[in-house]
Amino acid sequence: MNTVSFRAISKTFNAFTAIHPLDLELASGEFVSLLGPSGSGKTTLLNICAGFLEPTTGSLAVAGRDITALPPRQRNIGMVFQNYALFPHLNVFDNIAYGLRVRHVAKSEQLRRVQAALGAVRLEGFGSRSVPSLSGGQQQRVALARAMVIEPDILLMDEPLGALDKQLRKDVQLEIRRMHLAQPRTTLYVTHDQEEALVMSDRVAVMRAGRIVQIGTTQDLYSRPANTFVARFLGESNLIPGRLVEHGAERATIVASNFSAPIEGRAAPGLSRGGTAAAMVRPQHVCLTPGGVPARIVERVFLGEIVALRLVLADGLELWSRRFSSEAPIGEQVEIGWKREHVSILPET
Amino acid sequence: MKRALGSKCFAALAAIVVVAPIMAVVPVAFSDRSFVRLPPEGWSLRWWHAFLSDPTWLQALTNSFEVAILSSLLSVTAGTAAALGMVELGPTARKFVTAVFLGPVVAPVIVLAVGLYALARSIGLVGSILGLVIAHTMLALPYAVLNIGVSVATVDPRLALAAAGLGAGSWRIFRTVTLPLILPGVAGGAVFAFVTSFDEVVLAIFLSGPRVKTLPVRIWEEIRVEYTPIVAVAATIMIALALCGALASRIVTRRPQ
Repeated sequence: MNTVSFRAISKTFNAFTAIHPLDLELASGEFVSLLGPSGSGKTTLLNICAGFLEPTTGSLAVAGRDITALPPRQRNIGMVFQNYALFPHLNVFDNIAYGLRVRHVAKSEQLRRVQAALGAVRLEGFGSRSVPSLSGGQQQRVALARAMVIEPDILLMDEPLGALDKQLRKDVQLEIRRMHLAQPRTTLYVTHDQEEALVMSDRVAVMRAGRIVQIGTTQDLYSRPANTFVARFLGESNLIPGRLVEHGAERATIVASNFSAPIEGRAAPGLSRGGTAAAMVRPQHVCLTPGGVPARIVERVFLGEIVALRLVLADGLELWSRRFSSEAPIGEQVEIGWKREHVSILPET
Repeated sequence: MKRALGSKCFAALAAIVVVAPIMAVVPVAFSDRSFVRLPPEGWSLRWWHAFLSDPTWLQALTNSFEVAILSSLLSVTAGTAAALGMVELGPTARKFVTAVFLGPVVAPVIVLAVGLYALARSIGLVGSILGLVIAHTMLALPYAVLNIGVSVATVDPRLALAAAGLGAGSWRIFRTVTLPLILPGVAGGAVFAFVTSFDEVVLAIFLSGPRVKTLPVRIWEEIRVEYTPIVAVAATIMIALALCGALASRIVTRRPQ
């Protein structure tokens, strides 16, 4: 049971507040991603968890044990860095065995566990290779093996795929997911890449300016974003800014300058009357329907099985529509619409 | 092409001007006469025999080795600690500390010598190996700090974090990660400190005593009394050691790949 709980954790550097007091709970074996733009405090939170930074306030507990005051070496963490941070003077085997030697694991046991770890990251036979002779993807897999071989209570990863090219990133993503499913380990994963977060996580915490804006399953975040920031960060979205005129617990209505009729949709929590709000419609829900709002097609992007259309409304607002097939040419005047259940009214941030 | 030839000639000339006075001493060491003349009229090893059978010369050579080895060990140890500590400082503090460390390089050696002499006399260190070691460590330390500092700057600070995350304490991190990675700088600093100490003469003159003197001090004393080729023998030994030192530092500071 390796639950992790952050309680009222905050961090300030001189006058700058990197993290406002926040709570975060990870269930045992859960894979949670911290997703946010740079400067949102996600790496700071990870470093606090690793013990590389001391929180200004709050406490951190693993499996119910308070570890706030423990130095990194007593925390039993597995850390994977963006730049791999492999020891360049040691070969692959010695890099992976480092944590085992620190723990005075017997030689034969070291050999067995390092071999198993090499197998888990599909690098059998690479033990005697030097670190610089490996590709970026292989180095990151060695770093993973080094972090996992010590059987850490928590696995921490700081943008581990940031330095890899796109195809490799996909491969290692799936590799990490596969290993996690084979042996679930409480994992905190930092990334600014929404796709990475979506592919691997059980839950995602979207961070902005030192706060967790929203946390939930990827499904939750995608279908019920808390505000326009989350909507922009996860998946493609059309946001139509407007003024909130009516809202209840379930439904809300805004008036937008482009639209003669008010737009109604599911209300996100946190709406306030008179505050700015936006209606969100995902591109796949924007249809070309006679009798809708007039728009002009200005761009067609062929994406394989679907076509993305960029549409401009009368006063210049741009929306994207994704259609399975559309013969409509660029420049054509069309009318667009959507179903009410596909609209969310979100607070603008 | 003409210009290339011209600059090559100039380089050759410069090399001759710089190296000739140094190398001129070597043939003198193999002279068979009792006085210094260039070129020597006859060749022999008699001055080498004289050097090796005179206990005062041998003692001076031994002292020089002892002082150079001890001060290079001391300056490298202190230099490593300083270089590692300076990484932790903020930019302003680091500038200040760097300036302090470079002090002995900028200050005139004679000023250092006078100050050190006064201090050493008051605590009875004049004429002792320890006094010489401390003085030479002072001179060599800036170079050790700079040399090791360059190596430290190339080490990714996340490596130490990675090791700490894997459970290593600070001594183990130093021993298994930091030291192996900065070893070229440490070895370079050690060689440099050794050579600096071995041919240092000003501080050594002040701090030597009747029984404890280094080879350069012995040479200087000999020249004031009589100018024989035995001085050239001592000088040749020093040149050979300096060349070995330069070669050694080239080898140890050359990083693999």
